[in-house]
Amino acid sequence: MKTCGRGAEIFATALGVVAMACGAANILVWAGLYDGIEIGILAIGGTDFFRWVWGSLVVAFGGVMMLSGARNMHTVSSYGKVLLGTVMVWIVAVTDILALICESIPAGDEPQFFNSAAGFIGAFAPPYPPAVVLLPFTLAIACFLYAGRGLTKADEETGQAGDANHF
Amino acid sequence: MSISPSRRWELVDCIARRTVSAGACRPTLGGVLGELTVKPLTGIPTALAVLYAFWSVFGSFAGALVTDGFMVRIFDGYWLPWMQAVWPDPGSVHYFLFVGDPAAETCFEAFGMLTSGLFVSFGVVLPAILVFYLMMTLLEDSGYLPRLAVLMDTLLHKIGLHGYAIVPAILGLGCNVPAVTATRTLETKKQRFIMMTLLALFIPCGAQLGIMLQAVPDTVGWVLLYLLIGFVVFGFALSRVIPGSNPEILIDVPPYRWPQRTNVAKKLWNKTRGFLTNAVPFVMLGILIVNVLYLTGFIGWLADLAAPLFVTWFGVPKETVGPLLAAFLRKDLAVAQLSTIPMTPYQMITAVVLISIYFPCVATFAMMVREGPRQLLAAMGVLAVVVIIYGGLIHAVGILLGVA
Repeated sequence: MKTCGRGAEIFATALGVVAMACGAANILVWAGLYDGIEIGILAIGGTDFFRWVWGSLVVAFGGVMMLSGARNMHTVSSYGKVLLGTVMVWIVAVTDILALICESIPAGDEPQFFNSAAGFIGAFAPPYPPAVVLLPFTLAIACFLYAGRGLTKADEETGQAGDANHF
Repeated sequence: MSISPSRRWELVDCIARRTVSAGACRPTLGGVLGELTVKPLTGIPTALAVLYAFWSVFGSFAGALVTDGFMVRIFDGYWLPWMQAVWPDPGSVHYFLFVGDPAAETCFEAFGMLTSGLFVSFGVVLPAILVFYLMMTLLEDSGYLPRLAVLMDTLLHKIGLHGYAIVPAILGLGCNVPAVTATRTLETKKQRFIMMTLLALFIPCGAQLGIMLQAVPDTVGWVLLYLLIGFVVFGFALSRVIPGSNPEILIDVPPYRWPQRTNVAKKLWNKTRGFLTNAVPFVMLGILIVNVLYLTGFIGWLADLAAPLFVTWFGVPKETVGPLLAAFLRKDLAVAQLSTIPMTPYQMITAVVLISIYFPCVATFAMMVREGPRQLLAAMGVLAVVVIIYGGLIHAVGILLGVA
């Protein structure tokens, strides 16, 4: 982890801030303090209370969790917090994508049962909710895990395992 | 010879000091994640995320894909018109019993044994049950459920229970029958009584949830909120009123594991088979009995009799008496029937809450009988009081908000 320690911490901090801000913004929009926002492929807002508010709350908590662990990310306890925050964003993103898939397989009001290929793919057009936009960036956190594992094994083989609290 | 709990713990400490030696421990990522999911500060947001996933997958797969996407179209577009076309003599009793209303355009409205009965069983409830048990098994086998029990321990102690009461509570969201059986894991009679009563009153089963999402989707959030409030408030009251103890327990928390595919498949099959063999006949029988009661005029008579209570005290139309009778057989069936009665949104919320709390379904009732007649009688007494009080309170809240 030491090889990517500082960079990983900055990355996790940035990701945490963005996740927390997006989650909070979604809740503020739902509360009626702001109108829906659309920035490029990112959409803040929604219609489904369950996905919109509950999902946003989870993303915001995920961001807070990432921030709380970002400072000493080279330790396993802090990395665990960052990973748990990341998993929370993954949960919302993956279930949002699953919902899109489930809704776009049937043809809806069309006479046939299954949607056409164009209709199916069209359902995945942007804008996307924050968790889906954050998903590719959060995958980097999982990459740090594998980088950390590699380093641990190398350390153990050469007898240079560091502090017991470290990877 | 008996020793006090504090003396017992002192002895445990003494033995542990002499026999247990501790060395340096290298924390693993799995261990850290395990700890984070039981600490309230990090565990509660995680629980929120897990429950979000649970209900999101439930709604997406069972609701949007299987039921809305295909089953509604198959049953309303093909099965119902075909049954209406081929079944002879639309004015006859057998047509009313098996096909239902000849002018119905949806299987919810028809309310025949072979139309609504099959649609509710296989089009709505089966996919809901399947997804629910899949998610439940994954949580159980991954090791998350015991962590949720630890997390909920403090809160559940406030209502006279302990952390492991979360197991029957969550099981009850699938089906109240295994949930009643699971109350046996609780230590004292007081805990078992409170849990069984709360299950019968405030935990809607998966079948009911599935049909609520399908038939009255706009009211589901409010209904669940009312049920949750009722669970906490009446649980708190019961824990103060019912005599008995609420001891602390030790929960063995296993490490996180990847669920085994074969185990998941076996559990899923066993639970789904249970639904197919136990619940489906009840749905069919329920529709048949309710239709016979309609034909004989019994429901009309009962509706007139109970009208003052329903209209004045609960604030719902007297026609809801029919679904309430059906609810004793199957609650999912009753919600489906409610969805066809013209009501204001608030009346619908009240009526669905009443369906949930007024009486356990017959299968749960049978399980409660097996747990002991005295407990059952006491639970029924509590139930009757709670229905009258809570039903009236919900109506009062509606009047205060100007929506009733």
